[in-house]
Amino acid sequence: MKLKASEHGSVLIIELKGKIMGGPDANMFRDTLKEHLDKGVKKVVVDLGKVDWMNSSGLGILIGGLTTVKNADGEMKLARVTEKIKSLLMITKLIQVFDSHETVETAIASFSE
Amino acid sequence: MKKIEKLVIPSDTDRLPEVDQFAEKMTGELDFSRDLRDDIAISVSEAVNNAILHGNKNDGSKNVTVEFHKLENGIQINISDEGGGFESNEVPDPTKPENIMETTGRGLLIIRHLMDRVDIEPYKNGTKVTMVKYYIKDNA
Repeated sequence: MKLKASEHGSVLIIELKGKIMGGPDANMFRDTLKEHLDKGVKKVVVDLGKVDWMNSSGLGILIGGLTTVKNADGEMKLARVTEKIKSLLMITKLIQVFDSHETVETAIASFSE
Repeated sequence: MKKIEKLVIPSDTDRLPEVDQFAEKMTGELDFSRDLRDDIAISVSEAVNNAILHGNKNDGSKNVTVEFHKLENGIQINISDEGGGFESNEVPDPTKPENIMETTGRGLLIIRHLMDRVDIEPYKNGTKVTMVKYYIKDNA
């Protein structure tokens, strides 16, 4: 997995790329999230458009991230969820847990002020 | 591809990319679409992850063995660990509201959706997961 973090105004955008299969991937995601939450970031968009696939460890990384952000009184949204990941979210019923958007821009625009 | 190809790794999730490369190589030689190859790769990573974490309990002295068997109508993959075994029917339903926010426990559910046949049985000192994917599902 490759990860790129950038800030768009007050929104942290985490772009994930490749295959997300656990192991060191979880630490990379958690450390990036924690670093920005500690600086006061409350709005997070996870861009999945370049992810080939993820397994249940990848889903666990997203769930863990969502819980961490919520516990910091923030919001986390998904953007550009691929068909493969969407099917995994359906199988696991996690589709009802995440707020997913077609583009990063619509995800950013959906945050409450 | 020979009829049976085998990879043995120690219990270390950092070795998962190596398992994925092996699965990519094996399925790349067969008549699977990109989508089905990804389903197989996801399932292999799930089963190996389970073998490392729940079977061998991260004990680096215990190995996980991955075998690809070429079939007439698809592929069979056997993944075995050297742990104490586990009861798959004791895994809580991860889709229930009380479990939905758990970060683990979805591997078997995903494997059973993506593969055409899945068997879990005691094997030597551990557990063996047998998974089959057919080229065409009607061959099942």
